[in-house]
Amino acid sequence: MKKLKYSIQLILYIAVIMFATSCEDNLNDPAENKSFTEGTDYTISEDMDLPLLGLYAGFNDKGWPNNPLMAVRGDDVNAGGLGDQQDFAETDKFNYNKDFWMYNAVWEDEYADVFTSYSAIEQIQLYQEFTSNKALGDQYIAEAKTIRAWLLFNLSRVWGGIFIPENSDPSNLLVASLTSKADVMQFISDQMDEAIPLLPDMRPNERTDIPGGVTKYTALAIKALANLEMENYQKVADATSQIISNGGFSLEPDFYELFKIGGKLNSENLLEMQYSDFGMGAGDNKSYLFAFFGPQGWTPKVTGAGDGWGFWEPSMKYIKFMLDRNETVRLETSVLFTDRGIAEIEKDPNYATLPSWISNTTRSGDQINDYARAMFASGKHYLPSDELTPGRTDYGTNKNFTCIRYAEILLMHAEALTQGASSSVMSADDAVNEVRARAGLAPLTGVTNEQVMDEKFAELAMEWGTRFYDMVRLGKYDELSYEGRTFSADLTYLPYPQNQVDLLPALQGNN
Amino acid sequence: MRLLFTNLILLLFSLSVFAQNKSVLTGTVTDPTGAPLTGVTVFIKGTTSGTITDIKGIYSLNNVSTENVVVYSFMGYITQELQINDQKIINIQLEEDNLNLDEVVVVGYGKLHVKDLTSSITTVKSEDLLKTPSGQAMQALQGKVAGLQVVSAGAPGESPTIRIRGIGSYPGRGNENPLYVVDGVFFDNIDFLNTADIATISVLKDASAAAIYGVRAANGVVLIETKSGKPNQKAQITYDGYYGYQVAQNVLKMANAEQYTTMALESGSAADASFILNAMQRYGRSRVNPNVPNVNTDWYDEIMRPASIQNHSLSVSGGNDNTSYSLGTSYFAQEGILDMKNEYERFNLRSKIDYKASNKVTVGGNMIFSNATKYAPESGAWNQAYFAVPILPIYDDLNVNATPTNYANAQDLGYRGGQNPFPTLKFNENKQKIRKLLANFYVKLDLIPQKLSFKTTYNHNFTSIDQRNVRLPYFIGNDFQRVDASVVKRAETYSNQTWDNILTYTDSFGDHNVVIMAGSSYRDQAFNMLTATGLNFPTDQEQTYYIEQSETVPSEDVHDDGLRQYGMSYFGRVSYNYKSKYLLYGTMRADGSSKYQQKWGYFPTVGAGWVISEENFLKDVNIIDFLKLRASWGRLGNDKIQASDGAITTQVVTTAINDVLVSGTTTSSTFSSLKWEVTEETNVGLTAKLLNGRLSLDADYFLRDTKNAAINVSIPSVGGSVLKNVGVIRNSGFELALNWNDNISKDFSYSIGANISTLKNEVRNLFGQPHIDGGQAEFRQRSIVGEPLLAFYGREVVGVYQNDAEIQADPVALENGLVPGDLKYKDQNNDGKVDDDDRVVLGSYFPTFMYAFNLGLTYKNWEFSANMLGQTGNKILNRKRGELIWTNDGNLDADLATNRWHGEGTSNKYPSSAGLRKGWNQKMSDYFVEDGSFFRIQNIQLAYNIRKKEWFGFPIPETRISLTADRPLTVFKYNGFNPEVANGVDTQTYPIPAVYTIGLNVKF
Repeated sequence: MKKLKYSIQLILYIAVIMFATSCEDNLNDPAENKSFTEGTDYTISEDMDLPLLGLYAGFNDKGWPNNPLMAVRGDDVNAGGLGDQQDFAETDKFNYNKDFWMYNAVWEDEYADVFTSYSAIEQIQLYQEFTSNKALGDQYIAEAKTIRAWLLFNLSRVWGGIFIPENSDPSNLLVASLTSKADVMQFISDQMDEAIPLLPDMRPNERTDIPGGVTKYTALAIKALANLEMENYQKVADATSQIISNGGFSLEPDFYELFKIGGKLNSENLLEMQYSDFGMGAGDNKSYLFAFFGPQGWTPKVTGAGDGWGFWEPSMKYIKFMLDRNETVRLETSVLFTDRGIAEIEKDPNYATLPSWISNTTRSGDQINDYARAMFASGKHYLPSDELTPGRTDYGTNKNFTCIRYAEILLMHAEALTQGASSSVMSADDAVNEVRARAGLAPLTGVTNEQVMDEKFAELAMEWGTRFYDMVRLGKYDELSYEGRTFSADLTYLPYPQNQVDLLPALQGNN
Repeated sequence: MRLLFTNLILLLFSLSVFAQNKSVLTGTVTDPTGAPLTGVTVFIKGTTSGTITDIKGIYSLNNVSTENVVVYSFMGYITQELQINDQKIINIQLEEDNLNLDEVVVVGYGKLHVKDLTSSITTVKSEDLLKTPSGQAMQALQGKVAGLQVVSAGAPGESPTIRIRGIGSYPGRGNENPLYVVDGVFFDNIDFLNTADIATISVLKDASAAAIYGVRAANGVVLIETKSGKPNQKAQITYDGYYGYQVAQNVLKMANAEQYTTMALESGSAADASFILNAMQRYGRSRVNPNVPNVNTDWYDEIMRPASIQNHSLSVSGGNDNTSYSLGTSYFAQEGILDMKNEYERFNLRSKIDYKASNKVTVGGNMIFSNATKYAPESGAWNQAYFAVPILPIYDDLNVNATPTNYANAQDLGYRGGQNPFPTLKFNENKQKIRKLLANFYVKLDLIPQKLSFKTTYNHNFTSIDQRNVRLPYFIGNDFQRVDASVVKRAETYSNQTWDNILTYTDSFGDHNVVIMAGSSYRDQAFNMLTATGLNFPTDQEQTYYIEQSETVPSEDVHDDGLRQYGMSYFGRVSYNYKSKYLLYGTMRADGSSKYQQKWGYFPTVGAGWVISEENFLKDVNIIDFLKLRASWGRLGNDKIQASDGAITTQVVTTAINDVLVSGTTTSSTFSSLKWEVTEETNVGLTAKLLNGRLSLDADYFLRDTKNAAINVSIPSVGGSVLKNVGVIRNSGFELALNWNDNISKDFSYSIGANISTLKNEVRNLFGQPHIDGGQAEFRQRSIVGEPLLAFYGREVVGVYQNDAEIQADPVALENGLVPGDLKYKDQNNDGKVDDDDRVVLGSYFPTFMYAFNLGLTYKNWEFSANMLGQTGNKILNRKRGELIWTNDGNLDADLATNRWHGEGTSNKYPSSAGLRKGWNQKMSDYFVEDGSFFRIQNIQLAYNIRKKEWFGFPIPETRISLTADRPLTVFKYNGFNPEVANGVDTQTYPIPAVYTIGLNVKF
């Protein structure tokens, strides 16, 4: 009897232990707060722009070292920032260090956007299966390809041979091989040919769905840039001709304002990175780190406005070049002077007396003070303190960063023609003179290639390293060997970042 | 609900009691001196019928019959069994057990006799824990357990880093912490426990001991038992407390103004020289050396303060025949040595009650509520103090626009940053209200007395953390200002419930003794978080630090998150011995988890032991009291590995399009299918007690392999990393613990102990990859097959180029334009170049050898104890020195400034000031990687006991007064002020202060 009772009890307790199995169903619950892509509803056609907007977000959210590293090596600009980020200054002097964090940071930041463009295209294609407006999907894909082309273009100009991924999975690069720079440029040109017919035929600032987004003319501009690198001058002329004749672009009359708030979504811009404080003195803010380019020390017109880091010093060579040309508009817009810098120029007997307008106070009323790290600061990256939204103090807040503008299109056009290409749309003289007119310079006749290159130097300095890549392409190494530097062909490309060399077999033995 | 109902029925079902009326047995139990023993368990063998002696040592047993055998058992005494026969009164004297062989130890879901263990478990008791004045109980274990590494944390309220037998899981994500089991409830850390409330801490070191905890156990398990009352014990009120001060130790000497000026001028940088000039213009010239600015700030000295620490615990415990209880409250407060609002305060309440409802039914409950407030330090200030130049004062009267305080601004001298750490200290505040509740309730049914029992336990541990980070506005310069006041509020709750059901069967069949346990456990873990930020609220008083009071609430800064995970486990254990001579042990656990794609894992263990001293051939060897050989193997899991995405995921991102904030999505293509890590460990050991229990010895050798370690694999080209189960990591080592106790006379006794442990950490396999990189690109740490995990990886410095002849003779120097004073690296592969092919392993941050000694002396009423410990074989990356490769702006430590190269023959170790600034020649090398060995006097305590005396006729309760010096001395070579750096990379480590306290313990 007792035994039986114990047995019954025992069985019951074992049952309780096992009974808890009913809770096992919970083991299959999905994780909280995660949107699995497999759960995305691709039948909602209105959402098809989300992956594209995500790509624009990546494109705008640019790491601050990217543009500086791409553009520092020209004779228009010096690293500045003396005593800080020494290896950035060494890069300016063509002493490269593949261990330097900036090389890797730029490589990764640009490639992250490249892969985002692939995943955006893959996602848009999934929406396309259900949408009635397949053409819109095609347009979005063409936009993604255009942004990707810009990214690859810059990567290849810096590093030469690079990877062209095949899909959105970076791990495929482990078995990929490098594509030579020439092939990258050809790839870009071909991609743009695919994209051009699918893109909106208007200026970026005319778009109402995504104002400032890429259009047919952005793609044409990138095609022109890629062919310029390949010295396919006729293709450059053809692409620029299309932009000139049909694009409806015009030069902003006020060159100074082009690089200020007034330049946002200007009719001169073919591609720009957009930022905004949304007109509010606090809260959400999307901004590029313009402080990098700004003067380290100023007395702003609006007290409390923050200054910069003192990098990005216009070169003495550039300033004297501009003074020699009696430039005022472009020199004033491109260079912020300090008293120390002015004194340094005047030490040269040829420049003992400078034009009276040159001073350490900008026309907007900000006074640039002396600082040890540089003598000049970049004017194109400068936003006057009185253009800041009240409440904001970070240097350059609410300013956009222009990537391609119509002046460069005109000058590329002229360059192609002076290299033997032909165009029925516009002559080299007309193209150059349109740019010169805005700068308040007298027209030229019978422009030579050399004059065009000078015009590019004057017009595009400090922006995207156009000067450096032009001089490399034309083999004018003596121009780059300035102020104690010596440039040679083997210094054209930066070494691959050590971090990537350690990871990617294709890069090993390539440095 | 159904479950609860079933349980209730079962409960009622088992309340039926068998009663038989027989005679009564009484008596007194005494110790060898004749003093009564309170709390001795007296029971009739083979039944649950039993009692406990009262304060006079008297017991009374009902319902006994002549054939019954009475068992008298008491911890620390040899258990005795007597046949009753016709006796009505049995008075008995128990003998002290020097060997402690009857000692029991908590193992998972039960207790076992220490002598029957086949695995490696070390237990530390309350008396030893209380010697360390710390808010963190685990801190007290430093140096006490062979094979356990405790890396101290200096900040108040921070938990130390605990590593049991090395590291088997890739560090840095919090998944290398052991599992803490507090009275049966699982915790990730035990920062909420008051040390004085803890009875024992048992470290389950090997897999065999830990395997009963299955998928949670791979990093080792720490079992904590809080104090309980004892039956038939009169209420005892105990006060335990201390008060003391913390003082920073081994403060790193930085270059002073003169040394710094010399370095700056030697750097060859015109900018640096101009900053010195600016400082002289602004602050004047030193009267001692007119070429040095008249400022000499020792920033470390300025940002530190002496800080108090105190703890007060009050507890009551006791019990009668049916009930035992322990109640307590405690208050702990510690200031941080960083001069800001940096402190930790904890107020605890606890109660633990066990009630014997009938012969068969025991119920009990346990509750601990901890209410803590922590003001976390701005750890970045340590880093700022290292870099801030000594030629900058704290305050600057010339900085007239500064508000609210005229702090000095290094930008006024030309430096990039403001440098002054005081705005960080004074205008930032990080407050956390941490409330933790442990609650459980159990019912235990003795189905067959002394044999079969069933216990069901429901546990709930609940944590709520309310964080409030306030940033107040200030203006020190245009580029050293904070315009917007901001308050970040973050509310987190963790609610973890478990329901355990355990069936235990204990029996003997002749010489065969067996304990069998089977059980199930259901877990439900939930986490919720909500955070938002408010900008610009009234900042005059704390009462308006609300988002509701803010002018702006940025939508981008509003986030919430949640987590819900379920677990279901079945487990069992068999512990068998034959004549206590041959031991066999096995457990099995099946764990189900909702966290991974793989739902179920199985974690078995087996162990065997041979008590050689029970064999006839050793019976006559007098010096050997007890000798056991043991071996075990077990498998464990680690489910702290994050849940994998398992699939492509989509994130929402925002950007500005035409001055409008728009949202888009990005889809990540990098995902992994993760599963828990599996660890297998083999342990062989020896336990011995020699020379009449005076010498005890424990030795163990272990080999622990993490089979599918989850390692961060860098994503090529894109950066970041993705976690993949791609490695095999092995930890192996030898541990030895020796203790000697002896009584020289009635008044004088002493003990000496030592423990040592070795550790070899090795990556055994990376699934085809030669290595996996970690750390920063410039300061590479690499996991290579055959080397320790995350070994420092770089070049070897051969010396410093001394003269031009040496430069001319070296093609490497010529090619790179090096000059005397620059570092010279070793060409490892002799290819005439020094490049990344010349990188080698420079060491690991795991100590290969740890040792500790302790000494205890007792003379009459005086007690003295001392602990010393140390470690060798580990390296520290002096990352602070590395900052110079990017910027000249900061200060340097005095050792570097004094011993820099500044002319032929001045140094072959440190480069010149100019050489230090050549980022491209300052590669990761053994110049940055330093020896992390240290030796420390961990704890010294002197105590005096007042034992039941009367002073002038007034009774004096039992009182103990103690003086403690904790960590008064640390000796090391490393150029930092703290050799305890958990991950080996020293950027900003909170200093570990010495603590001096006076303590009082009174038992009323």
